[in-house]
Amino acid sequence: MTELDHRVKGVDHAAFPTFDPAGTVRFYRDVLGFPVVHSICAVGWGPEDHPDFIHFFFDIGNDDRIAFFYYFGLEPVHSRERGDAYAGFGPEVPEFFVRSRHLAIHVEKEDDLLEYRRRLDDSAWPVKMQIKHETIESIYTHDPNGYLIEITMPLRPVTPQEDLDANLTIDALLDVLAQPGPTLGKLLARKAELIVDRAPAWELARAGQEAGR
Amino acid sequence: MTSMYVLDVPENTPLAKVAAEDPAVTVGRIGPYFEITSDAAIVIDRRATGCRHAVWYSAISGIARDSRITQHDKNALRVEPA
Repeated sequence: MTELDHRVKGVDHAAFPTFDPAGTVRFYRDVLGFPVVHSICAVGWGPEDHPDFIHFFFDIGNDDRIAFFYYFGLEPVHSRERGDAYAGFGPEVPEFFVRSRHLAIHVEKEDDLLEYRRRLDDSAWPVKMQIKHETIESIYTHDPNGYLIEITMPLRPVTPQEDLDANLTIDALLDVLAQPGPTLGKLLARKAELIVDRAPAWELARAGQEAGR
Repeated sequence: MTSMYVLDVPENTPLAKVAAEDPAVTVGRIGPYFEITSDAAIVIDRRATGCRHAVWYSAISGIARDSRITQHDKNALRVEPA
């Protein structure tokens, strides 16, 4: 666990290129209702042959933002069918890998999740999956650029012991990565040792904190 | 001895409860974890737990070095002495 103080305040913006700015505005502003909150119109400059571009931002709640770059005159950088505006993948890349990178946007309750489901289902980008995971439930679609977008709600509040468990997992992972041939089985064996070593003291410390309140 | 560890969170409690129905199995605690032990195999029927797949396949926190998973599929979890 880290002793460093934690000063950051969430996502300022996550930025992606687009070759379909009209579709992007329709999807985020007109279908999802995410307000446009900032944009930059810039003349290309600098040592590279940089095109003129628009950098535009949508509010995704909590004052966090998703942003796009549209470069005038730039053609798509690949012609592969699988992938998104940023990168294409050939048949040698497994589907689970292609689908691994995504942005998940948080909602607090089921009513909100279902409202976004309704908005998407009424649009050209209907929900492709609704999945109950371990502790969250999510809807998914691809935006007009092929980026996988998830909207997710918690099924219950996060418990303090999940932070302990996550830290034991990461410490066990680092330990097995230091040896050849890391596997989930080796991780679970190492994690069992860490649980025996650390879990009782964690619970005692936590009980002490509760009593001190 | 067979030992496995499961974090005590709401979606995992049915798993510990079903494990405890076997009289040969002991369900104790170590910190915020269930410590599930037996002198023989620990066998847990997934359908009896009611756990959906996402929970079922991620519920194990640790398996002691003297134990090993011999089955973990949609039907059951089986942990045996290594």
